[in-house]
Amino acid sequence: MNIGLIQRSLREVWFASLAMSGIVFGITALFCYAMPRVQARFAQRSFIPQGVRQFRDAIFGGVDSTGANIAEIAYAIAWSHPLVLVPILTHAILVQTRVPAAEVERGTVDVLLALPVSRWNLYVSETVAWLLTAIVTLGAMYGGAYFGSMFINPDIRAVATPDWGRLAMVLANLGLVYMVVGCVASFFTTIIDRRTWAVLCTLVLTLFSLLVSFLYTIDPALEFTKSMRFLSILDYYKPLAILRSGDWQLRDMGILASTAFTLWIVTGIIFARRDITTT
Amino acid sequence: MLACPMTTAVSITTSALTRTYGSRRGVSDINLAIPAGSLYGFLGPNGAGKTTTIRVLLGFLRASSGSARILDMDCWRDSHRIKAEVGAIPGDLRLWPWLTGKSALKLFGRIRGRDIITRGHELAEVLELDLSVKVRQMSRGMRQKLGLILCMAHDPRVLILDEPTTALDPLMQERLRQLLRQRAEAGATVFFSSHTLAEVEELCERVAIVKQGQIVADSTVTQLRSQAVHEVTIVWTPGGTPEQVPACLKLSKQTAEVWKGALASEGQANMRELLAFAANQPIADITIAKPDLEAIFMRYYDE
Repeated sequence: MNIGLIQRSLREVWFASLAMSGIVFGITALFCYAMPRVQARFAQRSFIPQGVRQFRDAIFGGVDSTGANIAEIAYAIAWSHPLVLVPILTHAILVQTRVPAAEVERGTVDVLLALPVSRWNLYVSETVAWLLTAIVTLGAMYGGAYFGSMFINPDIRAVATPDWGRLAMVLANLGLVYMVVGCVASFFTTIIDRRTWAVLCTLVLTLFSLLVSFLYTIDPALEFTKSMRFLSILDYYKPLAILRSGDWQLRDMGILASTAFTLWIVTGIIFARRDITTT
Repeated sequence: MLACPMTTAVSITTSALTRTYGSRRGVSDINLAIPAGSLYGFLGPNGAGKTTTIRVLLGFLRASSGSARILDMDCWRDSHRIKAEVGAIPGDLRLWPWLTGKSALKLFGRIRGRDIITRGHELAEVLELDLSVKVRQMSRGMRQKLGLILCMAHDPRVLILDEPTTALDPLMQERLRQLLRQRAEAGATVFFSSHTLAEVEELCERVAIVKQGQIVADSTVTQLRSQAVHEVTIVWTPGGTPEQVPACLKLSKQTAEVWKGALASEGQANMRELLAFAANQPIADITIAKPDLEAIFMRYYDE
């Protein structure tokens, strides 16, 4: 790990990271303010359409939402809504497609590789810089949730405020999803020297992975996709289960962590061994 | 394959170095042995394989076969250790646009683990570069100067420069040459790649000429000149052009007014034959001279 290289990376991504953190903060705050009110209205209804329930369960990684209270459902939705997940995962993709692809495209990779640091050292330094920005971005999500909850109507505040410790556990689960996506982006950027292609490949894979969770809710003819849900990252992200039980989802988190770690190692080996030049 | 001269302190060595890009040719069978403290020119037109060789030396590319070593370390395996002792500038230099000269010196110093600020400022004075300007606002020449400062500020033992005078005005080119001579006097090895013959001739003691990925000549500039055959230009008086060309001459241009060419081969016999032939001819003017490096270079490329 090289402090100078970490500083270089942070200088490159600080603006995008702050902007993305601001967006994440704002959207999460809005959701965490509005969702409990919406959920309180839903709770007064005796009947919730099957389609809505199915869609909700799909978002929750297949966890049945029957019997969950307002705060649990509201925050589980807020923390798994695509509007919140997209900026978070976009941040991972933006930061992790820089080295080497963006440096190759910009022509700066020759200067970077002429520095007296090993490729592994460079790779580790890049990862550390990424994780530091990830803390800010994911922290913005937690901060946004807290900020939004401060404005919840006092009438429902008692039942619409989550257990903050459990929400931190959800954040850890989401952090692992974020790391898998970041490592996929890093993998593509290492094997493809064009950033646009690396971003595109990561997006296609991520979108496919997200969609696999929802396909069966759209049409009964797509029921067979239920068996493919193990390919979806949302299947390993369980905000509702954590908020309800307060238990770590060790199996799911273990799968995410080992996937991210394996990808990180494989990418590092490729990065250290392959030819890298501007042209 | 050309024989490499053996020296006691060799900074850069390559042995049968070959690098291909799939079916495309890169470089093949490159043998170098560059002594410490020398100014070594690596000469060839665009696409000859100069940059490929440099990229292998800097560990950007792995050799397909053969070996490359700097300061007795393997250029691929020990690449990061080598770079602590090497200053390099790529042919098409790009720097991060948010850097200023000052912040670049700080950052590169931190990455290298050395204080290069004082030396960097000295070099900036010599090269007349304002270090407070951001790279994105710099002209190409200014960026090149900053690149040169960053590659020399840590006083490296080996300098690998890929067409370093690009975008520099003649005055700055001369200052750079002075700096490089000083580095060589201090014991550093300068590997100077260029397609500009004049600057290699002016700076380097030894030169390798690369053609289609292979070294076709590796010698001192003086030796190259002495090995080269004399060039001959004869201007005839009107109507006096002889019909037969003597065997000692190999002409590249033959008109009624002028013959231009070279001795068929270097040696006393051919020279005597030429002089005897010339003594009996109606010649208006005759020039017999050793060619400059450019002519030698062009001859290698014509062959």
